[in-house]
Amino acid sequence: MKSRLFGIFVLGAVVLLAIAAGASNAGKKASPITLTMWSYDNQDPGLQPVLQQLSKDFEKSHPGVKINIVFKDFNSLVGTVPRALASGSGPDVTEGNQGYQTDAQLVKAKLIIPLTKYVKKYRWDRLYAPSTWGMFRWTPDGKSFGKGPVWGISQTGQNVVAFYNKRKLRQLGINPNKMPQTFAGFDRLLAQLRAKLPDDEPVIAHGNKEGYGFIHLFGGIQGAYVKAQTVRNWIYHVPGSRYDTPGTIRALGKLQQWGKAGYFNDDYNALGYDASATEFAKGKGVFWIGGDWDSTIIKTGLGAANVGVMPVPPGPGGSWTSIGGLSGPWHISAKTKYPDLGAEWLNYVITSQRAKTLMFSQQQIPADRRAKPPAGDPYLAQVSKAFRLVADDDGLLLYTDWASPSMYTTLQNQFQLLLAGRQTPAGMAKAVQDDWEKFDKTLR
Amino acid sequence: MAVDEPTAHAARPDPAGPGARRRRRRPGGGRAPGDPRNIGWLYVLPGLAVYLLFTLAPLLHTVYYSLFDWDGLTGKTWVGLSNYGEALRDEVLRDSFVHSAILIVYYAVFPVIIGLLLTAALTRTVIRGFRFFRTALFLPQLIAGVVIAQAWTWIYATDGPLNRALELVGLGSLVRPWLGDFTWALPSIGAIGSWVTFGLCMVLFIAGVQKIPTSLYDAARVDGAGPVREFFAVTLPGLRDEILVAFVLTTINALRSFDIVYNTTAGGPGGETLVPSMYMYQNAFLYNRVGYAAAIATVLAVTIFLLAAIVLRVGSRGERT
Repeated sequence: MKSRLFGIFVLGAVVLLAIAAGASNAGKKASPITLTMWSYDNQDPGLQPVLQQLSKDFEKSHPGVKINIVFKDFNSLVGTVPRALASGSGPDVTEGNQGYQTDAQLVKAKLIIPLTKYVKKYRWDRLYAPSTWGMFRWTPDGKSFGKGPVWGISQTGQNVVAFYNKRKLRQLGINPNKMPQTFAGFDRLLAQLRAKLPDDEPVIAHGNKEGYGFIHLFGGIQGAYVKAQTVRNWIYHVPGSRYDTPGTIRALGKLQQWGKAGYFNDDYNALGYDASATEFAKGKGVFWIGGDWDSTIIKTGLGAANVGVMPVPPGPGGSWTSIGGLSGPWHISAKTKYPDLGAEWLNYVITSQRAKTLMFSQQQIPADRRAKPPAGDPYLAQVSKAFRLVADDDGLLLYTDWASPSMYTTLQNQFQLLLAGRQTPAGMAKAVQDDWEKFDKTLR
Repeated sequence: MAVDEPTAHAARPDPAGPGARRRRRRPGGGRAPGDPRNIGWLYVLPGLAVYLLFTLAPLLHTVYYSLFDWDGLTGKTWVGLSNYGEALRDEVLRDSFVHSAILIVYYAVFPVIIGLLLTAALTRTVIRGFRFFRTALFLPQLIAGVVIAQAWTWIYATDGPLNRALELVGLGSLVRPWLGDFTWALPSIGAIGSWVTFGLCMVLFIAGVQKIPTSLYDAARVDGAGPVREFFAVTLPGLRDEILVAFVLTTINALRSFDIVYNTTAGGPGGETLVPSMYMYQNAFLYNRVGYAAAIATVLAVTIFLLAAIVLRVGSRGERT
């Protein structure tokens, strides 16, 4: 009796295992070679349709190769990709995120491979200015950012800029073709707009639900008070760098003042980043300060002729700055069986003429500095010019949340507290610097 | 009081119930049919194996990880109990437990009260479409947390139905971005929790009420008890076990709540809705501190265990034997 029951149990277990094994085999047999890519460029309009189309093209030119491109939102991709790669059943090629939270981790755990070989093979070194490559460089221990081999490569330029509703400016008696060229002038314009607009309409449509809205928006203000190189050094953990400088504290005070004066829609913490772009595209607010990767959303809503694009203008120093850099870095998994094929796909989606045409058609600025926007698209020319203005002044601040694994959450919380009047500018600067120093110690 | 004695009698589990009488125990030695035999172990083996493999083993593994400084990928460093020391000093973690305590009111106390009221209403009067209401009110239990979170995010939105309704009834001054408001974000999440769990309490209580002999209700009525008196004298004591089960389940739900918080506020604004499970997630998957996250998980598990034990202990106190 006993042994029979036991036998049944064992048999059941064997059958279950067999089914499980069969299922996983069946998945692999579907195509001779399947490459899985993970991306958080899930904006449509935006990069998502570009990547999908390019992958289809790639499949056509490579018979027997299937590209399985998976789109996730930013937070869930960076939250899962290290363990997915470590498990061996993760993506072959994936986006990471520059900085200590994600890329440092992937490098240190040897989950991705250096791209040195492919940089040489495909002449990728010609894509970006030498200083731009810093955001892809890590020493193999994942400790030093900005030096060492190259581990990633990006598709588009990213720039957080001010979009403005020209029609609304005209209605309010402001000439949209004569926008202020200094931060002080920009600040005055916002105050002027606040006085003219009805109380329930924001000057700046803003969405901070995910927590990066204010990280991005603040870049334009910080850049007016602090040198871009100072901000970058802090991100790269150059010894002696500080966040709690008088300039940054004054910039934080300015942001808090904007909040108190009611420049933003009061539901910014409940509204998503892209959703706020959509609201702006529907006519809410005069400005939207956010990533140029959302420019198609805005163009679609307001019509190209009604939208102006410019970086937040410079402070007394006169150099144009903005939060930005290049889009998410693409990495090749250390566990993929087809690294060369992965690199070939990357080369195709980043450097081919077809890729650039498709990116421009979605109002995305290719990271390849040799790419020329097509003539006859003044809107795209504005977006492109805004990026060039900053890039030529070497004013891309990169993203401050790259500076430590917990910096994203720290900044998210501190900005929310600051804007709610529950934190002082100096208190926030100190809290951010404390996070930085706590992590900095682990690097020495 | 006439109804008191039989009530306590009914609340006692099985042995006093009519079903128990069938099973007669022979006095002294010998095994009656139905008494445990060793073969019983074989019957529970599949379940036990699954439990050991998928519940107990990961649990012990988590405790093991909590003794290391580990990023989840590269080498581990033994740090003994220092993760627990940090957990004790960590103000963020302390705040998150305070938030959880507030959520327990919404996830456990309110649903039990609402469930009892609904049970009293649904059992006392004959309601047309009773089954429909019972199913409809239980439905939130069956919906995935992510879906619930999305639906409520929409309901709470600045131009969402809740604010529209407030404007319609002339309460426009209350309109606010509920989930983005420092004061209201946590109660707003709590309200979602109440909505999700009260159906479970109600179904438990309705099932429990059917177990209370109708003779008790008849006796109460003969003694002249009104609906309120009847509820407190018969229904409430009769539901003691169900209320305990409901409290334990919903308290555990409150402490474990992650999906709704993650998908509505992600702990914001400014950390006002951060709960331990969310903080654990951040440490494990965003800050690359798996060891510390495991320590938080262990602290959370112990807290849940203790709370459940306290609820059961307090609840069964005063039960007559």
